[in-house]
Amino acid sequence: MSRRGDWVYENNGGTCVAVAGADYCVVAADTRLSVGYSILTRDHSKICELADKCVLASSGFQGDIKALHKNLAARELLYQHQHNKRMSCPAMAQLLSNTLYYKRFFPYYAFNVLGGLDSEGKGCVFTYDAVGSYERTGYSAQGTGSSLIMPVLDNQLKSPSPLLLPARDAVTPLSELEAVDLVKDVFASATERDIYTGDKLEIVVINKAGTKREYIDLRKD
Amino acid sequence: MSIFEYNGSAVVAMVGKNCFAIASDRRLGVQLQTVATDFQRAFKIHDKLYIGLSGLATDAQTLYQRLVFRHKLYQLREERDMKPQTFASLVSALLYEKRFGPYFCQPVIAGLGDNDEPFICTMDCLGAKELAKDFVVSGTASESLYGACESMYKPGMEPEELFETISQALLASVDRDCLSGWGGYVLLVTPTEVQERVLKGRMD
Repeated sequence: MSRRGDWVYENNGGTCVAVAGADYCVVAADTRLSVGYSILTRDHSKICELADKCVLASSGFQGDIKALHKNLAARELLYQHQHNKRMSCPAMAQLLSNTLYYKRFFPYYAFNVLGGLDSEGKGCVFTYDAVGSYERTGYSAQGTGSSLIMPVLDNQLKSPSPLLLPARDAVTPLSELEAVDLVKDVFASATERDIYTGDKLEIVVINKAGTKREYIDLRKD
Repeated sequence: MSIFEYNGSAVVAMVGKNCFAIASDRRLGVQLQTVATDFQRAFKIHDKLYIGLSGLATDAQTLYQRLVFRHKLYQLREERDMKPQTFASLVSALLYEKRFGPYFCQPVIAGLGDNDEPFICTMDCLGAKELAKDFVVSGTASESLYGACESMYKPGMEPEELFETISQALLASVDRDCLSGWGGYVLLVTPTEVQERVLKGRMD
């Protein structure tokens, strides 16, 4: 909440999570849209399917997020026309980073998590800051509930430590069902303590068979 | 930069079946530099009452000294130990006395009351009490602690399981906070005994 006449952003709240497995990726986000202490809607999707194996979830200022998703979807369509194939997840990851840095001095107020399958069919998750700094990880959370969720993912996903040598993939050894259950659990916990997270949880699971979508009710208070 | 983030701290207390646990991290820093790795933040008031103080370390120590003084006077006059609920009111009053120049501390109080009923509460730096039935958290890692405790806690845990749960919640949370960590210190209190353990976590 800013009294300045030139403050052009607002935070619409919400939390996004992505978890990568050996041959699947789970991307989830709540569906609540808030401004200040009010709820604008309980039914707003923060997830955008950019390509058949690439899904983006973003939390932050929804005006910028809508513009960003539209921009990326258009670029993906152009890529399809020029290369006769859909964009891979690592390619989209680089494109997203460049798109965000393009507006380095008037940023997109968007906190992104990109999830999908890489060219070998393994799960991949890319996590971003608002100006495009990114990293491939095994799992990530962004948004108002991220600080509540990350420690639990660290503890429960049994991913190999990033400090081990030789460097190994950070994907979780858990099965798809276990990962989805864990995501539902962490969102239930975040909903209890974060006022901006709740209403419904949208879960998208990407594996070699395709993309599946599921909705779970969360607390509405 | 907030005064509450000057030293860095993490304190948590949880209720189990006829027992409670209180845990804290061990780092003392001066902004980004670590100055001590064995700093005590959870203190004993009497055998069945403990207080953890997060926030500015100097205020935590001063407040602890004042509280021990007040409790000793109470013991002399009343010839008994203070109940946790009474002690919580005392802490609240002491903090509110400094309403316009507060102690920069957030206390977490845990004790066994009448019939060895576990009692936990927390308050802000001005003394606003908040009772809880399950767990209370405070410090720079409080958001992470909320998430971890909410996921890992279940009611009616036995002492061994409670110890495991509070330790995992503390270590997972401080690992995501650069200002707290360097191990953990857990006190598990039952009506018959007190167990003190030092946890080894990521030493950074």
